[in-house]
Amino acid sequence: MRSSLTRRGLLAAGSGLAAAAAVPALSGCSSLAAADSDPDTLVIHTQLGTTAPGSPTYLAALDRFREENPGLAVKNLINGDDLGQVYETSRLARKEADVVMVNLYDKTLAWTDVDATVDVGGYLDDWGLRDRVLPAALSAWTDDKDRLRAFPYFATNWPVAYNRALLDRAGVGAIPTTGDELIAAARKLRAKGIAPVTVGGNDWTGQKLLAQIIQTFLTQDEARHAYSTGDFGSRGARAGIEYFTTLRDAGVFADKAQGLTSDSMTTQYNTQAAAVQSAMSSALAKIPEDVVRHTEVGGWPVADGAAHEHPTVIRAFTLIGFWISPNGVRKIEHVEKFLRFMYRADTVSRFVTEAGRDMALRTDTVSTGFPLVAAAQRLGSGVSQVLLPDVYVPPSATQPLITATSTSFTRGTSPARVRAALESAYRSA
Amino acid sequence: MKLGKRWLPAHVLVWTYAVLLVVPLYYFLASAFKSNDAIFDRPFAPPTSLGLHNFRTAFESADLGLAIVNSGLVTVFSLALTLLLAVPAAFALARSTGRTAGLIEKVFSLGFLIPTFAALFPTFLLAAATGLFHTRAFMVLFLPATALPLSVVILVQFMRTVPAEMEEAARLDGASTFAVLRHVYAPMCLPGIATVLLLNFLTFWNEYLYSLVIIGPDPAQRTVQVALPTLKSITGTDYGVLTAGTVLTLVPVWLVYTVLQKRMQQALVSGAVKM
Repeated sequence: MRSSLTRRGLLAAGSGLAAAAAVPALSGCSSLAAADSDPDTLVIHTQLGTTAPGSPTYLAALDRFREENPGLAVKNLINGDDLGQVYETSRLARKEADVVMVNLYDKTLAWTDVDATVDVGGYLDDWGLRDRVLPAALSAWTDDKDRLRAFPYFATNWPVAYNRALLDRAGVGAIPTTGDELIAAARKLRAKGIAPVTVGGNDWTGQKLLAQIIQTFLTQDEARHAYSTGDFGSRGARAGIEYFTTLRDAGVFADKAQGLTSDSMTTQYNTQAAAVQSAMSSALAKIPEDVVRHTEVGGWPVADGAAHEHPTVIRAFTLIGFWISPNGVRKIEHVEKFLRFMYRADTVSRFVTEAGRDMALRTDTVSTGFPLVAAAQRLGSGVSQVLLPDVYVPPSATQPLITATSTSFTRGTSPARVRAALESAYRSA
Repeated sequence: MKLGKRWLPAHVLVWTYAVLLVVPLYYFLASAFKSNDAIFDRPFAPPTSLGLHNFRTAFESADLGLAIVNSGLVTVFSLALTLLLAVPAAFALARSTGRTAGLIEKVFSLGFLIPTFAALFPTFLLAAATGLFHTRAFMVLFLPATALPLSVVILVQFMRTVPAEMEEAARLDGASTFAVLRHVYAPMCLPGIATVLLLNFLTFWNEYLYSLVIIGPDPAQRTVQVALPTLKSITGTDYGVLTAGTVLTLVPVWLVYTVLQKRMQQALVSGAVKM
């Protein structure tokens, strides 16, 4: 028997295979390496670009920017929740994008401190863009060492959305403004088979609502202290936790809220399975039209002795901002062009009108196609504002706090155990 | 043939098992043609339309076409490299009887003890140090390394079943060592090779964490498993679109599984005839 495949043939085949394997590798290597190091390519790493609210507007704006800057190539890298991890590893390899578009939360809180991104305050002044930014947004994006972490861009109102039609069907006359009214409304809704307040008790939406309810009895300074230090032992914090457990055990939240996520929350509300949700602007913008017609926005009901006069809402300025990386500093003239373009009044207006986004920049444009977003902007003095805790929670405590949130939303968990869960989230971090 | 009552429990179990497999698959496929409202309101109702809108949206917004090509490239070249290394290694180990061979075989088996996640950071450092970070080339080299322990162990067991007389007969006909591998061992171990191909295809195609970190998010290079999660949105995922995207990524898996299943059966039958 004679082999048709000789030793030489096998080696040749192996070499050929290895060479063939190298083809996609080399093409891949060159394409990204070029984007990273090519001085005429601006690399942007963003969460916008597929189905995130504002993505079509962002992509259209990017096309416009390319048209206006024909000599400048723009590469758009897209990630979802995993953007932070991907950016950090890219930075370790010194292959990070030039501009990162992400919110100030969790991992990103530490980026300026560890030189993963640079202080952009000087650029904001040099490019004359400081006046374009709302003062509250500048304050929110500035760290305790007076460094501006990123160029603020998206903001959000975080009101409570009430489905008026479902409330009417259950015989609830008015939007609840006190805890007692909310409990009474929840009972009536449950009697009609409608879930009262839907919330992602197993993720960030639950964490925000829990923080909002706890702050019922806290001033902003006290809330800042509690969420910075993890000390929930003050009288106000304990009262807030008790208020939360009272509402929870009275059946205010949807069944099994401790296992729900933001996805299930928005779906329950958008399909009219639940009557109430605490929703940020981008979620309000995605409520279907037939539900929008029946929706009113307001605040979270307060209790007797609350530190706030009116139902509470969260207003935050730390959604997507433009962070500049050390690689971006090397191409700062391109970054400047991009930032100037994104800060331009016509670009900002597009995000308001086409995507229904709240902006951290000054703009006179009002969203007409997204009535709930506009209604949330008009809430004004009828609601009291509480803090978004994201900026104050140490990055390492963020995930443990989510776990503690799920524990908190589990029926029967005592106020003492909720407090212990919250405090241990900080200790374990 | 009429079956007696004693077969009834078996029938019940088989049908229960079939339903357990079919129901989630039906739910999954039906959801790909529905809107969020329909998915959550009437989860098991058949879709009212078989329009491809969700598929089109998923395909276009996550650029799934290019991602599938990238996954295909990484998977195919990784599989080729895995076989190129594993088959000769298994051949040598199966034919050796010495202590060293036994030791080397155990070293291959030790690969099972390394948890995937634990190797992430060293692997990242290696990719950065070799200048292959953010390339598919690194994954083509890395994936076979992770697959070799299982591949070699499976192939060694298959090759040990080849009777020594077959090799002796080939040698008498003047076959070289490579000819023995090519004409005796490889054909007789085709079921093993098909098994290794199938298992590794599924692993390579579905790999997420390393592809995310090493290859990165560049749409020109990212694999389908990295592209797919971009269809999720923190403020309301369109599950119809997400499910349609998932179906699209599963089509190649289904095709390969079908082809290799047939090959595996053919190889088994032809092997039996030859022997």
